[in-house]
Amino acid sequence: MKRFRASLLIAPVAALIFVFVILPYVTVLIMSFRATADGQPYGQGFSVEGYQQFFSQPYYALSLPSSLALGMATTLVCLILGYPIALHIATASRKWRGLLYGIVLSPLLVGIVVRSYGWTILLGNSGVINATLRNLGLIDRPLPLMYNNFGVVLALAHVFLPFMVLPLLSSLQSIDPAIAQAARSLGARRFTIFRRVTFPVSMPGVQAGCILVFVLAISSYVTPSLVGGMRVKTTTLLVIDALIDQYQWPFGSAMALILAVSAGLVVLIFARLTRMKWT
Amino acid sequence: MRIATPLLAVFRTLVYVFLLAPILVVVLASLNAGNFLTFPPQGLSLRWFWTFLNNDIFLNAIAYSATLAACATAVSLVLGTMASLYFTRHAGKHAEAVRIGVLLPLILPEILTAIALLFFFYEIGVGTEHKIALFTGHVLMTLPFIFLNVNTSLQGRDDSIELAARTLGASRYTAFRRVTLPLIAPGLSTGAVFAFIISFDTFGISFILKGTGSAPLPIQLFDYLRFNFTPEAAAVSTVSILMTLVLVVAADLLFGRRD
Repeated sequence: MKRFRASLLIAPVAALIFVFVILPYVTVLIMSFRATADGQPYGQGFSVEGYQQFFSQPYYALSLPSSLALGMATTLVCLILGYPIALHIATASRKWRGLLYGIVLSPLLVGIVVRSYGWTILLGNSGVINATLRNLGLIDRPLPLMYNNFGVVLALAHVFLPFMVLPLLSSLQSIDPAIAQAARSLGARRFTIFRRVTFPVSMPGVQAGCILVFVLAISSYVTPSLVGGMRVKTTTLLVIDALIDQYQWPFGSAMALILAVSAGLVVLIFARLTRMKWT
Repeated sequence: MRIATPLLAVFRTLVYVFLLAPILVVVLASLNAGNFLTFPPQGLSLRWFWTFLNNDIFLNAIAYSATLAACATAVSLVLGTMASLYFTRHAGKHAEAVRIGVLLPLILPEILTAIALLFFFYEIGVGTEHKIALFTGHVLMTLPFIFLNVNTSLQGRDDSIELAARTLGASRYTAFRRVTLPLIAPGLSTGAVFAFIISFDTFGISFILKGTGSAPLPIQLFDYLRFNFTPEAAAVSTVSILMTLVLVVAADLLFGRRD
């Protein structure tokens, strides 16, 4: 009786997740194998046309490696920018920690559309950076900062940096400062301490942060479409085009699943290479 | 190493600037007196805020987003707290499965969840017209934030205080209201603020499931930005940033001192 009553607590959420997450994902899987049709989202019967369509057209097929590369570049930039920040906050005094933590979290409090818009103001041809450089007489023509991979990676790195810093921070804060002091007193140089003590201990944070940023980056829609304009076509953008603008549901679903499986493989390879311990 | 330390400090400062720059630049752009987003600005003015205040499309979008966020947060508060109580007290060896299950909407790519919901609601014959799909999506996106925050309040505390209250004759309901609820109040308030902001700002779910008619603010702003370059969008964004800021500060003043 008691166990039955306790299970009533989880029943609504369990039903919610099952009906509105698990079943819908199964629907996507089924949809990807439906027959295509003209004039309506999908036809009668089943086929693998959606998958064939993706791999037979270079425009679509080639978007996959470039999207994965874009995701990896964003992840790398986030790691390079985020690690010193996480280290700084982890070792900062209590007074500073709150403020720095606030700065790192601030992008999360501002919608993704607004943040991407901020980047278009900064990077545009007559944007803040180009206008400043031109007024200083350093350049004649605007630098190509936007509508290309460079701009998209930069903006994506900004949008997802908190997701790198937070896991890094939680793993760095678990390090006992006494270990570093011990290494110091035994004569280790600061870089050696970082390489042999700090970095290995922070590895779970590095792994979690990299996986989070990578998955978020390759599935993002707003930033590539606003900062990339029509020039940067990621697979996610093509999926939405196919589903919403062209009403090709089987094709769009197949493309979404191919992207998800590829991303999963990249994550698995990364986990394998970094000897990740799954918890 | 002596040279590396100041270099690292400069690098860190640049990263902090990098984090704040796009947000500050939006606020500055909203004060531009010119017709376009030129830099340096052609004088300062509040004219774009005035334009925005006379633009029903954006005002409706803000009201719509706020209503949606409030409703989704209310439902998530109830469901998320129940799930959290189960997770911390009764889940036993299924705890990890429960945790992953509730966090699924956070772990899975939002845009893919949105597409999945779109198909699902069409397959069961409901579609996106009645906003039920949109609302369900927002509940799913906000649920993990309530769950995580209430967990933090409950962890390390067993249900013995509540049991004590029951032994002393309190009804199940009284024990919950007088003992458990004050215990999880900080988690509930932080979770609610998070949930509201997530719902207010979320894009993928709203973009795919919005249906026809009125759309949430991020969608309205996105559509506007694709074809317009006036500082009005910056004014709208600034108002949205200020709303979030007010919410966070108010929540901190009201509930922040408790823990």
